[in-house]
Amino acid sequence: MSIVTNLIVASFTVPERIAVNPQSMLLLLPLVASITIVYKTTKMPKIKFVSFVKEVVILFGSIIVFMAATAMVLGALAWLITE
Amino acid sequence: MTLFLKVKHLLFLSSIGILAWLIPGGGHLALNEKKHAIIIFVTIVLTFCAGLYIGSIAVIDPVHSKPWYVAQIMNSPAVAALGRISAEGDYTVYGRPAEIGQIYTSIAGLLNLLCIVNAVYWAHLRKMGIEVDYNVDSN
Repeated sequence: MSIVTNLIVASFTVPERIAVNPQSMLLLLPLVASITIVYKTTKMPKIKFVSFVKEVVILFGSIIVFMAATAMVLGALAWLITE
Repeated sequence: MTLFLKVKHLLFLSSIGILAWLIPGGGHLALNEKKHAIIIFVTIVLTFCAGLYIGSIAVIDPVHSKPWYVAQIMNSPAVAALGRISAEGDYTVYGRPAEIGQIYTSIAGLLNLLCIVNAVYWAHLRKMGIEVDYNVDSN
C-alpha cells in the first residue's frame, strides 16, 4: 500500500481527541445539517436548487434556535436549583 | 388486483427497498430521481465517514454495542464487513470520540432507513398511478 493509502486507512483506525468543553458542542452542527438535507430531500418531490437551499436553511435555523432555547431554559433551571 | 399482480408489485417494492439499503440513494436512482439519489448518497456517506473518522472503526461493535450496531447496519450491508474487521482487530475507543462516532454513524443509518421507506413509498405511489402532489407544503 502506498503512503497515502496507509494514511487514509490509519485515520479511520485511530480515534480523534475530543475535549469535553463547550466548543465540542459545535460537532452537532454537521449532524443537524445532514438530518436537514436528507429530510428535505425526502419531502421535496422536485428539487430546485434555490428552493431546496432555502428550505434546508430555514429548517436548519429552526432546529438550532430551538436547541439553543432549550439549552438556555435547562441551563437557567440548573442554575436556579444549584444556586 | 390479481394475486400475480400483487406478488409482482411486492417484489418490485422489495427490490427498491433492497437497492436503497445496498447503496444509500440506490432506491431513488432506480426510480430515476437522480438529484435525490446524489444528495442522499453524498450526505449519508459523508455523515457515516465523519463518524468513523471521529471514533475510528471501533465504533462499529456488533458484540458490545448491539443497539448502536442495529442502527449502523441500516447504512449498508458493507457495515457488517466493517464490524467484522473491527471485532477481529485490536481497535478500541472510549469516551467522547466513542459517543460522537456512534451517534454520527447511527444517525446516518437511521437517515438511510428514512430514505429506504421514502423510496418504497414513492415506488408504491407510482405503481398505483398516483402522482406525488408537488404543491403540498414540504414541511
